[in-house]
Amino acid sequence: MTEYFIYTLTSAAFVAIASGLIGSFLVLKKMTLMSDALSHVALPGIALGILFQFEPILGGLAFLFLSIFLVWGIENKTKLATESITGVLFVTALAVGSLLISQNELLEAFFGNVESISPAQLAIQTVIALGIIVVVVRNFKPLILVSIAPDLSYSEKISRVKTELLLLVLIALTISIGIGFVGVLLMSALSIIPAVTARNLSHNLKTYVFWSVIIAVVSLLGGIIVSHTTGIMNSGIATVLINSFFFLISLFRIKK
Amino acid sequence: MTTDPILKVENLSLTIENKNILEGISFEIKPEEVLAIIGPNGSGKSMLLKTLVGINIPTSGTITWDQKTKIGYLPQRFQVDHYLPMTVEEFLSLKRNPQYSLNEVFSLTKIQKEWRTKNLAHLSSGQLQKVLLAWAVLDKPTILLFDEPMENVDIGGQASIYELLHELQTTLHVALIIVSHDLNLVYRYADEVLCLNQRMLCYGEPHHALTEQKIKELFDTHSLFHHTHQS
Repeated sequence: MTEYFIYTLTSAAFVAIASGLIGSFLVLKKMTLMSDALSHVALPGIALGILFQFEPILGGLAFLFLSIFLVWGIENKTKLATESITGVLFVTALAVGSLLISQNELLEAFFGNVESISPAQLAIQTVIALGIIVVVVRNFKPLILVSIAPDLSYSEKISRVKTELLLLVLIALTISIGIGFVGVLLMSALSIIPAVTARNLSHNLKTYVFWSVIIAVVSLLGGIIVSHTTGIMNSGIATVLINSFFFLISLFRIKK
Repeated sequence: MTTDPILKVENLSLTIENKNILEGISFEIKPEEVLAIIGPNGSGKSMLLKTLVGINIPTSGTITWDQKTKIGYLPQRFQVDHYLPMTVEEFLSLKRNPQYSLNEVFSLTKIQKEWRTKNLAHLSSGQLQKVLLAWAVLDKPTILLFDEPMENVDIGGQASIYELLHELQTTLHVALIIVSHDLNLVYRYADEVLCLNQRMLCYGEPHHALTEQKIKELFDTHSLFHHTHQS
């Protein structure tokens, strides 16, 4: 195992911890499909990064924030639901992004390729992941409360709008750091599948969040190792398969 | 004895999407007072409470809370998704500045200790309401705002929650605003009553303010004292 590969795995572990944490909120707040759709919006940004030779993750991040801004703007102007607007944006972004890059690079962007992640991207990912983890840990209670019982947050003097915006920003950041490993199409493998699997395995919040993080870490590291050693599939595809396998097993151990 | 009100509402109006929900509401509440807000379904009772808490922003008028007031709010609807993995203890630990220990709040709200590790989703609606009450009491509020649930609570559970509220009100010396459509309750527990049907139809001591004429006007029905819990 080369030093660089160990470096990659370390970065992946932090990315997976952040994704597992955010995923547990997405499932509680029923935002899984919304975040899944949102991840596709990063594609044109990644494409621009490849075209103009800057870090694709930065392009992806820019487009994610741009789309959050657009969703909010359109939501206020029309009367469409957030998920409908996201639906429109994500296919548009997918089409525009696909136009901009070659087929080979498109496959990588879709399904992730751990081999093509640059040292700079690894560093950026790790720093953002650490930031997400710190912010979530420090704001855990308000984030949970706004996710499960928004009405109760008012008398706690927690701003619902600010907390929801914070969650949205955290989601965008989480997507941006995960797509290098699993690609824009399979991003939910890192956040949603671990959380729903964890839900099957736990009856309280503590074990739910714990398992969500553990499953995200194990499946991403497993996916990267399988992809790296066998070379028969992209890291994203391997990660999804491992995750789905865990989910399947969890169906036999459902805690109500 | 003259005490300053902890809440003063003046000429409050609320319009949502061009629809008038509340018009010209004025009242006040002093420490340890019990105010009942009554009115038919859709009269704006819950909306008034939500506006007092800050969930709705009033279109005009003012809401002035005494600075030292701490509000405990029990919303009408607190639905727990059946897949929410959270125990009673974990839920109550989300409270920001608890002033009681869990044991203390359990005995105050008559919750059995075994509930601590119970999953919220496994509680009956009556039990869930008690947990919600424990939540509201946990940081020693000076006023409780209780929005009566319209359905899903068994009558037995409902009676005991009112007794509990009444008991807490006297032991903890909190003021209380109850939204209800049950007139019996008003006569039994309330110091003041506010009849609401978008506008304020009556306000004052129950035995003076609630004349038969007012009640007819308010509910426009003959089944006055039959407090069914249907929506």
